[in-house]
Amino acid sequence: MSQTPIELDTVGADITTEDVKRARDRQRVQINRTWKGRGRSFRLLWLLIGPGILVMVGENDGPSMISYATTGATYGIGFFLPFIALTFAMAFVVQEMTVRLGAATKRGHAELIYTRFGRFWGFFAMADLVIGNLLTLVTEFIAVRAGLGFFGVPPALAVLGAFLVVVAAVLTRRYWTWERIVLSFAAFNLVFVPVAILAHPVSSQVVRAFFTWGPLPGGVTAGFVLLIMSNIGATVTPWMLFFQQSAVVDKGLTTADIRQGRIDTALGAVLAATAAIATVLATTPLFLHHITASNFQGADFAQALIPYVGQVGATLFAIGIFEAGLVAALTISSSSAYAFGEVTGRSHSLNSSLREGWPFYAVLVTAAGIAAILVLIPNAPLVFIVLIVNVIATLAMPPAIVFLLLLVNDHEIMGKHANGRLSNIFGITVTVLLVLAGILFGITTIFPHLLPS
Amino acid sequence: MIDTRNTGEQMHTSPRPAETWVHEVLEPGQLSTAKQPFGRRRLSRSTLLLLWGLRTYVLLMVLLIAFQIWNALHAGG
Repeated sequence: MSQTPIELDTVGADITTEDVKRARDRQRVQINRTWKGRGRSFRLLWLLIGPGILVMVGENDGPSMISYATTGATYGIGFFLPFIALTFAMAFVVQEMTVRLGAATKRGHAELIYTRFGRFWGFFAMADLVIGNLLTLVTEFIAVRAGLGFFGVPPALAVLGAFLVVVAAVLTRRYWTWERIVLSFAAFNLVFVPVAILAHPVSSQVVRAFFTWGPLPGGVTAGFVLLIMSNIGATVTPWMLFFQQSAVVDKGLTTADIRQGRIDTALGAVLAATAAIATVLATTPLFLHHITASNFQGADFAQALIPYVGQVGATLFAIGIFEAGLVAALTISSSSAYAFGEVTGRSHSLNSSLREGWPFYAVLVTAAGIAAILVLIPNAPLVFIVLIVNVIATLAMPPAIVFLLLLVNDHEIMGKHANGRLSNIFGITVTVLLVLAGILFGITTIFPHLLPS
Repeated sequence: MIDTRNTGEQMHTSPRPAETWVHEVLEPGQLSTAKQPFGRRRLSRSTLLLLWGLRTYVLLMVLLIAFQIWNALHAGG
């Protein structure tokens, strides 16, 4: 793209290298806005997409894909297809608010919570984020290990390789480059679509499921409630709020870019929902052939699917599991680092130079490194961990959404971009649904015999 | 300023101080060193009640998860 004459060594005390790099990106956007040629809208969208797709596809992470695979193997085609589509609609409602917040305030989510609500409430929000992110990062490396395990790659080598990719991506010290690298990895999330096609799902059953929200084999059981929680946690989680808002700010989106930010988020939701539903369809043959998948790991799914989708399908499935873990490791580790920088007032940008932003990069690499080491602990109960991680994410979400709703209704910081009535109705509905799902989970945990096992 | 190829993009040809160029391109709030923190917001009693209620909800649920993990480990062990 355009060459800029500004050399980084000319940066003065008033601006940082982060500002210069962001200015380069913004200049390209501004030039495209004034350009009258063909394909202007597409070019503008190409420049402005990123945070929305990354957050949605990033949330199609290791635990999420295992949850979807378990769902398909346990329930087949039926209730969960429209339910998954609904959860992504919920995710869009919530994430769209972070686009407006970031564009209007130019501040990250953690920074806004700390400055507007104080350290006390900020501490709780950060505790939820840090604990959730660490646990989730562990499962991402488990997914990497499981996916590459299908190809015979030793666990330590797989985990080390993924960790090095995380490090290499941030060493570009350029948000744009990092974003495009992760987007190119994220495209592989769609490998679940050909696997679903190879599984030969009956199209009439798929269409009927979306209209009837059924069938639901076995009815409402404790396992069903756990999968409901896991599938919600697979699409709506606290790190997504923090990541997308920080990425919107780091990318330099302004209020003029909110429309493209919405399209980016919607596009991400559609792509991620497609991959999620495809995963359910891909593992439906296991349900039809009564194969118990409750203790399956990522590679086990791929192995078990060979008779139904062939070696090619199984290989694609394993690649998909690996991709899911890798992309989420990249995005979730950066969300931890963004939050750290925003709360401590230190540099928090993927555009920072190593000198300016070393604490930010150190947190990012350390978070990924700790998770990578923990994964190599032998005999970790993978399926249980990944299901519980998503449940924890679902339970931590209601307070996170309430903070989000309070911020996005704050006219002092949002001005005319504050929530309208419809956005609030949707936001409150999502919060109520999440609380109800949590209460249902709580009841079934305290009274396990209330529902059939 | 010159037009580059047929893309309509322009690039600067005359050297200018980085500060001036960056200040022209970025909005004031986008500058990393120029951000003024927003003031603290006063929370109403009902908002505080809601936040405490949700915090209690999360803590109870964490206990439930711990209970479930203990059960699972106990059953497995």
